[in-house]
Amino acid sequence: MKRFALLVLGGLCMLPGCAPGKKGPVEITLQRFFGACDAQFGSSTDVAAADGECAIITTLINKFNADNPGIHVKVNIVYWPGYDQLSAALAAGDPPDLVTMHQSAISDYSQRGLIEPLDAGLKSAGIDPAEFTRAAREGVTRRGHVYALPFDNWTMLWQINMNLFRAAGLVRAGKPVLPHTPDELLAQARQFRRATGKPYLIQSMVNEPAAYARNLFTFLMQQDSDFFADPRHIRLQTPEARRVFALFKQLYDEDLTTKNQDYTAATSGFLNGQGGVYLVGTWMIGDYEKASKEPGSPLAGGYAVAPYPKLYARDVTYADGHAWAVPKAERSPEKMRAIFRLLRFLKDHDFDWSRTGHLPAYRAVIASARWRALPHRADLAGLVDTATPLPPGVQRQFLIQQIVSEEMESATTGQKPVDAALADAERRINDILFNLL
Amino acid sequence: MAGRRRGGDIAIVAALAFAALLMAAPLLWTLLLSLKANGELLRGTATAFHPPYTLRNYTDILGHSAVFGWLLNSAIVSLGVTLGVLVLSSLAGYGFARLRFPGRDAIFVLVLFGLAIPEQSVIIARHQMFSALGLHNTYGGLILPGLAAPFGVFLMTQYFRAMPKELEEAAWLDGASRFRTFWRILVPLSYPAQATLGIFTFLSTWNDYWWPLISATSSRMYTLTVGVASSQMNFAQTNGLGFLMAQAVFASVPILIVYVIFQRYLVAGVRAAA
Amino acid sequence: MTARSASRDEALSGVAFVAPYLAVFCGLLAYPLLSGIWLSLHKADLFGGSEFIGTENYARLLRDGVFREAVWNTCYFVLLTVPALTVAGLVLALALNNSSRWSTLLRGLFFSSSVLSVTIVTLIWRMVLVPDGGLIADLLGPIPFLSDAKLAMPAIAITTIWWCIGLPMMLFLAALQQVPRDLYEAAALDNAGRWRTLFSITLPSIRRTALVVVVIEIILQFQLFGQAQIMTLGGPNNASLPIVLFIYQIGFQRWDIGYAAAASEILFAIILVAAMIQFFASRGRER
Repeated sequence: MKRFALLVLGGLCMLPGCAPGKKGPVEITLQRFFGACDAQFGSSTDVAAADGECAIITTLINKFNADNPGIHVKVNIVYWPGYDQLSAALAAGDPPDLVTMHQSAISDYSQRGLIEPLDAGLKSAGIDPAEFTRAAREGVTRRGHVYALPFDNWTMLWQINMNLFRAAGLVRAGKPVLPHTPDELLAQARQFRRATGKPYLIQSMVNEPAAYARNLFTFLMQQDSDFFADPRHIRLQTPEARRVFALFKQLYDEDLTTKNQDYTAATSGFLNGQGGVYLVGTWMIGDYEKASKEPGSPLAGGYAVAPYPKLYARDVTYADGHAWAVPKAERSPEKMRAIFRLLRFLKDHDFDWSRTGHLPAYRAVIASARWRALPHRADLAGLVDTATPLPPGVQRQFLIQQIVSEEMESATTGQKPVDAALADAERRINDILFNLL
Repeated sequence: MAGRRRGGDIAIVAALAFAALLMAAPLLWTLLLSLKANGELLRGTATAFHPPYTLRNYTDILGHSAVFGWLLNSAIVSLGVTLGVLVLSSLAGYGFARLRFPGRDAIFVLVLFGLAIPEQSVIIARHQMFSALGLHNTYGGLILPGLAAPFGVFLMTQYFRAMPKELEEAAWLDGASRFRTFWRILVPLSYPAQATLGIFTFLSTWNDYWWPLISATSSRMYTLTVGVASSQMNFAQTNGLGFLMAQAVFASVPILIVYVIFQRYLVAGVRAAA
Repeated sequence: MTARSASRDEALSGVAFVAPYLAVFCGLLAYPLLSGIWLSLHKADLFGGSEFIGTENYARLLRDGVFREAVWNTCYFVLLTVPALTVAGLVLALALNNSSRWSTLLRGLFFSSSVLSVTIVTLIWRMVLVPDGGLIADLLGPIPFLSDAKLAMPAIAITTIWWCIGLPMMLFLAALQQVPRDLYEAAALDNAGRWRTLFSITLPSIRRTALVVVVIEIILQFQLFGQAQIMTLGGPNNASLPIVLFIYQIGFQRWDIGYAAAASEILFAIILVAAMIQFFASRGRER
């Protein structure tokens, strides 16, 4: 009986699939955030019909799989920003083949040799870094090498509910009236509240690891505050920082902003017409534009978007971007070819990705008529020049954002005095940067 | 006196009913949310209090959810650890209880000390070790740590110690080897203890969170706990609240079934501990 | 067979029986424990690279305001949950200590939550507590449970009590059922009322179990992790940050594993002290 079983097993192994040299499709593991929406788009390859980050990236990868039967991309979805997962995987020696990485996080991994420089591979795939926009190129280049393929750049924006603005008398010649100084901001916010009874700002304030920091960085840069003059040392106990903390605290104290909302609540709050301006990034343009076309929606016919107003001396906005990095590992030349084929595909479809609202990473796409024809892009074209990231030498930017956000939340909600919050933030950040190995 | 007793009884019943309501409310709420369409819930969760209800979320799960993969991984790991613990603990329990060898008592005390070691003080070093050995994202990597728990050895040692010696002596006289005696006589007699140890081990492995969180980082290896955690954080971008709650229900059902079937042994174990 | 070789035989068998488990014990429990202590004396990075610095990590921990806050938060959490769990567990056990069908059903209900994993419990309770769309918000109005520094830890405590009530209840039930009947019969003969019976007979008889419950719960709740990590991320601004989440963040987000290992050894010391107290206290009782 045993011998017979062995014979059968041996026979089965002769079948194709077990024999050496026979190949199935090359498998690539791709790790990304952007959410999970398999229930709706799990098998769709219709990129044009997809809206929003999750739908577009899901259909793009489905399309790549369908168009390339010799390659199979396996997708691992992690919750934003996914660096816990990536670090654990890298430490375990079992990282994915491609991973979404913020341009602000590249330094952490490139410095330690944890991601591959892509110069040679990009060349072989026919991608020239000269085609990247200025912001994208700066975002992915470290010490002269390109460490990731840029996918987009993004900034925070003022997403505006024009219907409520109109009711508050803050629309002129079809455009929203925006402040030019902090005092004007407060005055307009109060005017808005008196007229509509609703808070002027909608903000994600709970469990929020980033929005506060992005606001702070934008307004510090606008005041020309050189808070990271030394990339290993932050200076926050400055009058400029104090001014920004105080401004947001005042908005909170006078009920000119929503309170106690996390990201999900704030996002749907804007859809439900809970306030005038939602401080969120480029990635929501697609969803909100869609909502503004639905009759009966609070945003119907009344959605506008603008870069952060210049409230101080300089016209700049804090920016970051997404990119695709290749974690360091031993890979066969076949696999590397497949990876760069996918990267080329992603580059070629950068216009599709930019339908999310993110700024394209390629000059050709920005210059193209079809990009400019997308809704609201004309209003954002100026961002190409004003979008500014932190200095590239600053490491652990996500941790820094988290600490800044924690302390700013405390100060804004009154749980800690502004000076104490700034001092704590400065001390905690410098402690991390000092103790980096 | 009787009247006061009845009044007191009514008060107790009322208080119990209230406590039971508080206990059941979150579960009922989860169920209600899972039966509503995602679009409706987006407008406000109070819509869950009245119809229309739908089974759409559940059919979506059957079609597209990773839950099944997570359930499979959890099942493999939990069964693996349970089996491993039963085998290792029974063997070691018999050795400590019945066989004399140099250093036995001292070693047993050391094993008992192991009971006081919390997961946190070994997890980082374990993670480093497994990284060096390439054991992450494997079933082995998820099963091995669970085998080291001293509780099982403690339980089985006590159990075997309490067994009357005559049983073994009879077999011994018949010329049976130690292992045969162990295997043929003592193990079957210890089934109640095995069942209790088994169900406790299965339950605690099924619900383990921190270790799979840092070791099973690839989504194909997610256990149920890690998968449910990741979809909670992910859902913010997909507005699928009904779907998410249906996932919670789906994820709870298997372990609740196991609980109902093996209740008896859990209760017996708790009784023994007291 | 001589007596000597018989006992050598026994010794060899004994070793053979315990060796498999001991191998796992040494490799996966003892070695990582010692290795972790060694690691805590280094400045080490998750991705390799380390430098011996002696007790510097411990000194840093004592200076670290966030760590001190984490220790305080965890102690506060234990104070919120353990007495509540013990008392509620006892009350439920007393009320449900009979064989009626309702009691069996209710016992099952109260224990069922303990069977769920922490990630399912947080999913359920998030939708109860959240001010935007939570059950409490829909019934009573929006209360920022998870975002207010004063409410965050109590909210996690309530979630945990709901989750963990089963075990204390079961332990007390088992203890109640072991109280000798004749004690109650004697009390009934003396015409003792319900409350007197409770305080003079029942409670004293289960004193030992009460101690076991308290110590087990202290040890368990000191290890708070999942609820804080998923529901509040330790916020707002570390108001609900427990020690274990601190260790996780330092080790896997800050990549500073030497520092994290040191924090985990301090946690171990705290838990060891709690276990020792039980050991000596129960020894004392027996005398």
